Amino acid sequence: MGAYSSLVYPAVLVVSGALVVLGVATLIAVGTHRVLQWAVTAAYVVVGLQALWVAALLLSGTKASLVVTLGYLVATVALLPLLGIGRLGHPDAALEDPDPSRPVLAPDQIARVDAGAAIAVGIALAVASWRITVLLGGGS
Amino acid sequence: MNPVARIVLIVVYSILGLAATGRATVQIIESFSEAPLAYTLSAISAALYVLIAVALWRGWETVALVGSSLELFGVLVVGTLGVVDSTLWPDETVWTGYGSGYGWVPVLLPLAALYFLVKGRQRRAAANR
Repeated sequence: MGAYSSLVYPAVLVVSGALVVLGVATLIAVGTHRVLQWAVTAAYVVVGLQALWVAALLLSGTKASLVVTLGYLVATVALLPLLGIGRLGHPDAALEDPDPSRPVLAPDQIARVDAGAAIAVGIALAVASWRITVLLGGGS
Repeated sequence: MNPVARIVLIVVYSILGLAATGRATVQIIESFSEAPLAYTLSAISAALYVLIAVALWRGWETVALVGSSLELFGVLVVGTLGVVDSTLWPDETVWTGYGSGYGWVPVLLPLAALYFLVKGRQRRAAANR
């Protein structure tokens, strides 16, 4: 638990904060989108690390509710595909979809969609990770 | 409807749907008999969030419009009933306290969705004239 609460959990919070800050920055200046994409990659890494670490903690025995903790853990992983969701509006992606109502986005719109998603996911990721840490007895 | 607003709304509805589904599942599995009405409402809100997210993605604007209106109605009624009589809800739902447990997103989100959906319809109607 020590390494989780002193290393993995803070890393998740830092990346979540970076997603929110860079999301806001991208809404203001679209050029920041490239930096936001690095933060998205970092989010995949830290959430993957958190999933492995928490799974190991649960397997090694803990007082935390297995169902609730696993639920939050699955939620943190399920949030990841929403990062970079602007790619669904890329003209090439839309061409492959017969749905006429599918949105097609310009590059600056893709950046803004990714920014909005990063803000929402960053907040949700931080809350879910905080709940996991509390359940594992590492926070208040 | 503005495509950027549409996809961002889909993202936020998906996140809220995920949170509400998780909450309702745990509440119903672990202690449904303690507060059946509150937990049923949690399940209804979860289903509504998922439905609106799908409707926004598939371009079912009428479904999204009706769903968002129902969501706003639900959060206002549940929130107000909680203020009028705090003993009415033995446990919290997503809509308790106008969604204060979720940063008031449950009351702000349908307002944003309705704004963009209605604005999109008005623009289309003006273009067709």
